[in-house]
Amino acid sequence: MAIKVPKDREVPFGAITPAPVRQQELFITSNWRIIRPVIDHEKCTRCLTCYIVCPEPCWSYNEKEDQMEWNWKFCKGCQICINECPADSLTAVPELDFEDGVVRLEKPF
Amino acid sequence: MEAAFDYKKQILEPIKSLRGAPKDEMYVPGHRTCAGCGPALNYRLVAKAAGKDTIFVGPTGCMYVANSSYLCTPYAVSWIHAQITNGGAVGSGIEAAYKTMMRRGKYNGPFPNVIVMAGDGGSVDIGLQAMSGLMYRGHDVLFICYDNEAYANTGIQTSPTTPYGANTTFTPPGKAIPEGKTLFPKDPPQLVIGGHPAVKYVATTCVSYPLDLMNKVRKALNVDGPTFLHMLTPCPKGWKFDEKLTLEIGRLAVETGMWTLYEWENGEYKYSHIPKKYQTVGEYMKYQGRFTHLKEEHIAKIQAFVDEKIQRIKAIAVEAPIPTPKAKA
Amino acid sequence: MAQEKMLSGCAAAAQGAKFAEVEVICSFPIRPYTAIMMELARMVANGELDAEFVHGEGEHAQVSVALGASAAGARAYTGSSGVGVTYAFEVYSPAAGGRYPLQMAIADRTLDPPGDFGSEHTDAMSARDQGWLMGWAATPQEVFDNTLINYRVGEDPRVMLPQFVCQDGYFLSHISDKVILPDLAQVREFLPPYKAPHPLSPLCPVSHGPQIRPDQGAPMDAQRAMTFLEVPKVIEEATDDFNRIFGRNYDPFLEKYKMDDAEIAFFIQGAHANTCKSAINHLRKQGLKVGMVRPRWMRPWPTIQIAQALSQVKAVGCVESSTSYGGATRGGNLIHEVRATLYDLENRPLVTSFMGGLGGDVVLLEDFYYMTKILSQMVKDKKTHQLVYWIGFEEE
Repeated sequence: MAIKVPKDREVPFGAITPAPVRQQELFITSNWRIIRPVIDHEKCTRCLTCYIVCPEPCWSYNEKEDQMEWNWKFCKGCQICINECPADSLTAVPELDFEDGVVRLEKPF
Repeated sequence: MEAAFDYKKQILEPIKSLRGAPKDEMYVPGHRTCAGCGPALNYRLVAKAAGKDTIFVGPTGCMYVANSSYLCTPYAVSWIHAQITNGGAVGSGIEAAYKTMMRRGKYNGPFPNVIVMAGDGGSVDIGLQAMSGLMYRGHDVLFICYDNEAYANTGIQTSPTTPYGANTTFTPPGKAIPEGKTLFPKDPPQLVIGGHPAVKYVATTCVSYPLDLMNKVRKALNVDGPTFLHMLTPCPKGWKFDEKLTLEIGRLAVETGMWTLYEWENGEYKYSHIPKKYQTVGEYMKYQGRFTHLKEEHIAKIQAFVDEKIQRIKAIAVEAPIPTPKAKA
Repeated sequence: MAQEKMLSGCAAAAQGAKFAEVEVICSFPIRPYTAIMMELARMVANGELDAEFVHGEGEHAQVSVALGASAAGARAYTGSSGVGVTYAFEVYSPAAGGRYPLQMAIADRTLDPPGDFGSEHTDAMSARDQGWLMGWAATPQEVFDNTLINYRVGEDPRVMLPQFVCQDGYFLSHISDKVILPDLAQVREFLPPYKAPHPLSPLCPVSHGPQIRPDQGAPMDAQRAMTFLEVPKVIEEATDDFNRIFGRNYDPFLEKYKMDDAEIAFFIQGAHANTCKSAINHLRKQGLKVGMVRPRWMRPWPTIQIAQALSQVKAVGCVESSTSYGGATRGGNLIHEVRATLYDLENRPLVTSFMGGLGGDVVLLEDFYYMTKILSQMVKDKKTHQLVYWIGFEEE
């Protein structure tokens, strides 16, 4: 009684999967957003508030460059960081304004 | 009497600033939680504070389904799905396993942080029995109740921590029942405190106060035995507010007294923050669609409930007041 | 040194767990299995067994604690009876589908309503489709042996399934018989330490049980179903090893008694089979060619072996100690699977069923004589007159 399961329907043994390391590449969420947060590095005081309040998280502090870095692949555009930034260095800009705006994926997930 | 076995429990240092917080993310981007999800941010902060020697237990709920759709999770540490009924029990089993495995030399430590990340339903409703069992048996496990005040994943139904007057799909306001929810909520930390002799530390947190949150997680993990954290995690979808306001709503909860930030340690209460002057509950409720149907009389009831809570808490800090019988509202 | 003791089924189960060096035990009291846990508690308190003895807050918690422990890499043991078995039902599929080889000892008991402490197989039988290994013992020795065999089969990397190790409440759980306890060295030769393939550990982070899409559900089911194709081979290997190391003589799947020339056979599971064998001895003296097939495994159902064993007889009587209300025969459960097993045979025997051993009833020698009369009549008439007979209630 041999059966063949199509590859895209396969489930690993016991539904046990490896843990992600830096990000979960199997669930991209960039195509959720309609705005993206744009940072003014001059105004930014490197207080790390945006870094700590992002639920994804999408902000990290690059020590070498001394700059905040934003994760294009996963930001959902919730605007919490924009709302919380004490230095007003973040602005909400429509996603469609960008060359690499609104990533259209073949499959949503 | 043989010497007690050294389970090599890790001691986590307090985090003094955002810059001093651990840089590693143990909850990584790539999950199906709503934009602005309070519980997701909470999970990330808990995982960050706990570090890599951690095992999470995830009873069914938003922090299971939304995080793990499909066949992938954002947990960079080991994690297991549990039923919504048995988070406390599965966590107990993992802890017991590590105790035996370390005694037999099958695992060399450090003793992992075992954290149950249960929603309000999975903590004090359908999961109450298992949570209490864990607290009673004294397992070295941190039980977290992340409170978004509803059964959110199934489309926002009332739970025992849903506030009086909230509009949920099981408590919709209508001609016959104008306030929506008629019941006042359970108080999860109070269910644990005083009734479980093995518990030495219980605290409340709010996602809007991340350093306080992470330090309470570390403090709880450092305790040798069961600990309980009641963590406020505003839910934009359930509470019907603009998703960018998640932390704002959390702050207002504390500033109006709808939520109190405190620790209970070995019998003593300590407050993390007490507003100098409390704002009225209306300031908290005005941003949330789940309350817009309420009339003056309902809001007054909520204010009275909060006022009494504030008085009771102020009193507890000094001595426990004798409860006076109240006329039914 | 191997030693011989008089042990009840419960005590034998506890000894089995002790020799298996279980690591996490989760208890909760319910008659009649409680004695297993009382015995284990005594062993742990005396330092005879180094295990975590967890006082579960209920049977649902018992299986959940055992699941968590198994997922972390520990050999976990629990048990229950009656409504305790059905209370834990939610966790059975997660345990089997998650591939956690914990063991649950069941000393069966009639289900409520209302309270009835007597033996009946319905409690465990109601869970037989959840994906666990399952089988009934007939003697305290077999309870002890099955404890070890089930861990060996369940923890095999080709299997990785939890196990229900069942015994008749009272008739086996509380009646003593001779049990040979082995050397620990023999047990260690037979049963290697449990090694979880992907334990919950900080050393190699894994996610156990993320949500799947509906179109992944059937493949998950198929994965679980296909595993049972592998299990019989593992049972054969394990039983052969067991027989060799401990000097026993078990057939891997069935106990066959006087089947060589039998014309009529009883198909019966559990301790009442002992009475059945006595009855057969008496009936044989009268020249009646009666035999017995006792399945040692309920899941996986030994389809090929049962078909082979029963194909030679003319009539089969399934002794049903469990109920299937509204089922095809309005009787019990065994007849459905026996008939399905025999359906495609060229010459298939007549099959009927006898409701016996329900609620705590003893199945008497006289009952077996009565059943034999009916089966003999069926052979004579070449026809099944009734699909189910209620022993003790039929109008003569």
